[in-house]
Order: sequence, then structure tokens, then C-alpha cells
Amino acid sequence: MKRETDYGHPIKEVYGPEDVAGLSYERDLGDPGKYPYTRGYYPEGYRGRLWTQRMTAGLISSAETNKVLKKYREMGERGGMCVICDRTFAMPIDADHPIGRKEVGVLGWPGGSLLEFETLMDGIPMTGQSVTLLSTCASGPLQLAYIVVYCQKNGINLSEIHGAATSYPFANCFGQCDCQPLDLDLKLFLDAAEYTIRNGIKMRTCLLSQHAQESGLNNAQALGVEMAMLNELCGLLVNERGLDFDDVALLSFELVSIGMRFFEEIAKMRALRRMWAKVAKEKFKAKKERSLQLLMAVHTSGRTMTYQQPLNNIVRATIETLAGVIGGCTAMDNACMDNPQAEPSELAARMSLNTQHIISDETGVADVVDPLAGSYFVEYLTNKVEEEAYKVWNDIEAQGGMVAAVKKGYIQNMVEKAMRERQREVETGERVIIGVNKLVIPPEDDFEIPIKEVKIEDSEKEARRIEEWKKTRNMALIEKSLSQLYKDAQKGDRFNLMPSIIEAVRVYATAGEIMGVIRKARGLSYDPFNMIECPFNFE
Amino acid sequence: MNEKRKIRVIVSMIGLDEHTVGGVVVSSFLRDAGMEVIYLGTYKTPEMIVQAAIQEDVDVIGISSHASNYSQIEEVIDLLRKKNMNDVLVIVGGTIPKKQIQRLKERGVAEVFPPQSSSKSIVDYIVSHVRQRERELKKAHKVQS
Repeated sequence: MKRETDYGHPIKEVYGPEDVAGLSYERDLGDPGKYPYTRGYYPEGYRGRLWTQRMTAGLISSAETNKVLKKYREMGERGGMCVICDRTFAMPIDADHPIGRKEVGVLGWPGGSLLEFETLMDGIPMTGQSVTLLSTCASGPLQLAYIVVYCQKNGINLSEIHGAATSYPFANCFGQCDCQPLDLDLKLFLDAAEYTIRNGIKMRTCLLSQHAQESGLNNAQALGVEMAMLNELCGLLVNERGLDFDDVALLSFELVSIGMRFFEEIAKMRALRRMWAKVAKEKFKAKKERSLQLLMAVHTSGRTMTYQQPLNNIVRATIETLAGVIGGCTAMDNACMDNPQAEPSELAARMSLNTQHIISDETGVADVVDPLAGSYFVEYLTNKVEEEAYKVWNDIEAQGGMVAAVKKGYIQNMVEKAMRERQREVETGERVIIGVNKLVIPPEDDFEIPIKEVKIEDSEKEARRIEEWKKTRNMALIEKSLSQLYKDAQKGDRFNLMPSIIEAVRVYATAGEIMGVIRKARGLSYDPFNMIECPFNFE
Repeated sequence: MNEKRKIRVIVSMIGLDEHTVGGVVVSSFLRDAGMEVIYLGTYKTPEMIVQAAIQEDVDVIGISSHASNYSQIEEVIDLLRKKNMNDVLVIVGGTIPKKQIQRLKERGVAEVFPPQSSSKSIVDYIVSHVRQRERELKKAHKVQS
């Protein structure tokens, strides 16, 4: 077993004052609530506001997901809800698409139209909690449109809604893909972001270094990539869309992946707060204090959960949840013990939510802000991960920034190299995983946990329902709105498509139709998989 | 069939599955073990995978799956049967619960490798089963002639 950090830096047996010799409390840490916010944004910490304790929901259908969301509230979810999209809506294509119909409702919520959002939210409040809809970049503008139209139709004040509905445009490098080209994703991201900011909407956009880390990057790489993404996207919104940085700064929230390297995970969160505060102040010249405070949610790592001996995963999730709490998060959804097998069973979801409650209510950990500050080891690790992350970030800038690095395949190569290295470490035993390369038991001796099953019949049933429903819509209204969208989408990248997407969503055009029309207007095929023809004629 | 011919393997994701980590890592160590890997990547339908298997004359189809229904893997098996390609070994890797593993094997998948399977277990399985099939084919050929 190697004694080094996740990113390969040797760890000594003991740390002392000499390891943090240059550390200045005022300059590098500051009291909680003070620049550079290494110790957090709030002097009172969790006493003022506990982190949002939530579980990610989404499976089979909108009606099923709605039931699960209600169940999670009974199980102690508090502060907010979180939904993840299914395979079809991720692309997005419709449920009745020839490929789509085999995978509707797989791994998430099939949110293919406003109808689905209305079903999802039936009996669930839009206000008084955060509404977080995780998806891909391409489906983000649709989700934002659902929120806007839903609020208008139901007389809800849009400015009272908070949460997140859109996603960053680089997830295709990290296995959380839509099937759209980068330039289209980037345009859709910027359109949605600009619309959100110019209309004073408080919905945020997800910037997920979680994906980067779950694909195999180490802690320092994930942090470096995160900063490169933030830097690039904020720069584009300020320079290309002419927005004020102090508005742009409030747009993103960061979902941090917390793995098993307990102290290093905490150090990573502390370093991220400091790195963002510095870049916001020094590079982007933020004028408002809030612009220096990057909102951080935590997802405990699904990758660290093992297929073998799944009960061990409860222990892993506990350690990771604890790290996320000590690190100072705004919201948490923790992975479940059945993560490497299936979607969360009721038992597994309950265990994960209970873990959060045990930590918040029984341990006293949430009583004190940033309790590990001043630890020689943790301060050393915070400095070190920051230093290593700056190297990764500088290398990306040397490629021309995040967009250029993705176009060159630089980021993809980094991920591939990292995943191979991780496999090698596990196979050689350099990285110990209990139940995998140590204390292994025969599969037949393993404890059987309940498994949530999804069958092909479930997907087919959904596909048929959507197919039938589509025929009942007012096609004249849909064609009119899509015709406008088609015209607008030919007006160049700077012409914001959100208003025409919103109008199409309002009359129940589907995600596949809306994205297909945008694609067609840009000279792409209506169907990304070239299996269906465009049913509309706008010429 | 020539004994010294490199073992040819397709590695592919299926349907809309975009989780590539497993597929990429497995491709890399199969190549290290001296096999010819045809990596198809994401968004491949059962038809596309079987078509590639015909074109590339492969011994093995390896499907990486992170999903919650496995119907498209079963479609691959059905298509191979239809085309009399029963000698192609189909193996699957990914986050697949035990009960589903059993079902896939009953449907004709040769082996399923769950997460954290060692590279050795996968390489050894492929080598021994492909060589065995080659020997069987040779024998059958001799009997015929």
C-alpha cells in the first residue's frame, strides 16, 4: 500500500509547524465569512442553515419519480429535492424514438416535455425548497423553460424559485453525455445562462467537477479542471454576452465529488473556496462579496462504492458524508450502497438519508465551523492540492483554455490516462479496496441486498403512452412555435433561443422536436441517430 | 483457423449508454495482452454491433453496460443466432445485479464480469474459451473431411 495522496504526493508520518511555515491566518484562511473564505462563507456555519439533505431521484416515469420524491420527503429529505434525467432526455430524444423506446426511464427521469414536468411536480412545492434538476447541457434549456412556463401557468413568482436547471457544456468528456456537438452545447449553455441572468432568475447552472473525478481524475486534477471550466465559462458570459461578472458569479454551483481520502477531500473543498475567491477578486474584479463565494454541493462518490460486499458501502458513504460536512457544503446527496448494482432501493435510499441525519443530529460535527482549520496536516494538504490544481489549470490554459483543450482531445486523454492508472493501482494492490483486492470472499458468500429492477416492458409502456399523447396535441400551435424556433436558430450563435424554446415548451412541443428543429436549422440532421425524419416542413 | 491468429475482440457500449470508463480500460488491457481490439465507442445499436462483428471477423463481442434494463444485449444474442454466428463469444461487463447476470447467461451470454473484475480474469477467460472453440472447430472440420 502506497502512502501518498490521491494525486501521488508522498505523505509523511507526522506534520508540524514547519510544514505550514509560510501560512498567514489573515491572508490564507480568514475567519469564517471572511476572504478568502477557506473556512467557509458563514460565521455561524451550519447553525444558521443546515446543509440541504437530499437524495437524487429519477427512474421509469414522471409518475414513479413523483412518488419517490414524496417518499424521500417522508424519509427525511429536507431543504431541497434533486432529480436526474434518464437516457432519452439526456440526448435529448423522445421516448418513442426507435432507440429511445428501449431506454425510457433508464437511470433517471424521462422529462421529454412540459407534461412530464407537470406530472413530476404534482403535489410537490416549487418554493420553500431548492429544486435541482440534473441533466445534460442540451436538455438544460428545456428544463429552464419548464420552470418558467410552470410558474407562469400556476401563478408562482419565478423570482422565488431557487435550485438549478441547466448544466455545463463539457460533460461529454466525462461520460455524462448528450449527443450534441460541442459548439451547439456551448451555445445552448450561454443562451440559457444569459436568459437566466437577464431575467433575474435564481436558478443556477451545475458545474460538475464530480463528473471529472468520477471518470477517473484525481483530486488535484478535478480541482484544476473545475477552475478551468469556471474561468472559461465566466469569461465567455462576460466578454461574449456582455454580462456583469457580479451577476455571472452567482450562476454556477459546483458539485464536488467526495471520495475516500478523508483529509484530502476536506482540503480540496477548502482549497476550492480559496481558489475561486482569488480568481473572482483578482482576475474578474468582483465588486460584490457574494461573487467571491462559490456555492458548493457535495455528491459522495459512486465510484468508490463496490459491487462486492455492498454493506461495506454504508461505511464508505458515512466516511465520505462526514468529510463533505466537515468540508462545509451547502447541499449533499450521498451515494447508496447499491450504487454499483442498480438504482437506489428504498432501503438503500433510507440508509443514505439516515447517514446524513445521524451526522447532523447525533455527532455534534455540525456545531463548529471548519473544525479542522489549524491542523498542520489539513492546512498542508489544502496548500498542496491548491498548488497541484494550479499546475493542472495552467496546463489547460496553455492549451488555449477549456474549450480548446476539449477540441484538441487534451482533457479526454487526461481522463483516459487517469482511469488506466487507477485500474493498475487496484490490480497491483497499491490502492487497497476492501472486498476487492483485500479480504475478498467468494460471491456465493456475499450478503444479498434488495435490488430495484427496471424491465424493458416499463420502457415500452412509457414509449407507448408518449406516442399516444403526442397525437392529442394541438399540432397547429406546435408547428407555429417550432417554425419560429427554426427561423431564430438560423440567426447565428449570438441570437438567444430561450424565448422561442419557452414558447415551444408552452404548447407541449417535445424535447426531441425542439432539439431536432434547432439541429436542422444549423445544418445538422433532425435526428442525431439518423433514424427518423423531421416531421415538420418550414421551407 | 490459424492458431497464431490474434484474437479479435469488439468492445462496445450499447444503445444510449455513455459510461465509457469500463470499455476504455478493458480495451487497453486486452491490447496489452496481444489481442486485436476494435473499439466501437458509444451509441451503437445491436444491429451495428453485429454488423461490425461480421465485417471485422471477430472471435469475441465485449459489451460494456451501465444500465437498468438489458434487452439490447439480448438482441445482440438473437441477431447472432439468426445469422448463424454462434461461434462468436459474447461477454458483458458492468454494473449488473446477480439475478440479471443469471438471466443474461441463460439467454446465451458466455460470461458477465461485474465491476472491479481483474484484467487477468477477463484475459484468461477470453484466451481459454476462444482457443477451445478453435480446437472444437478444427475437430469438426477434420470429421467432415
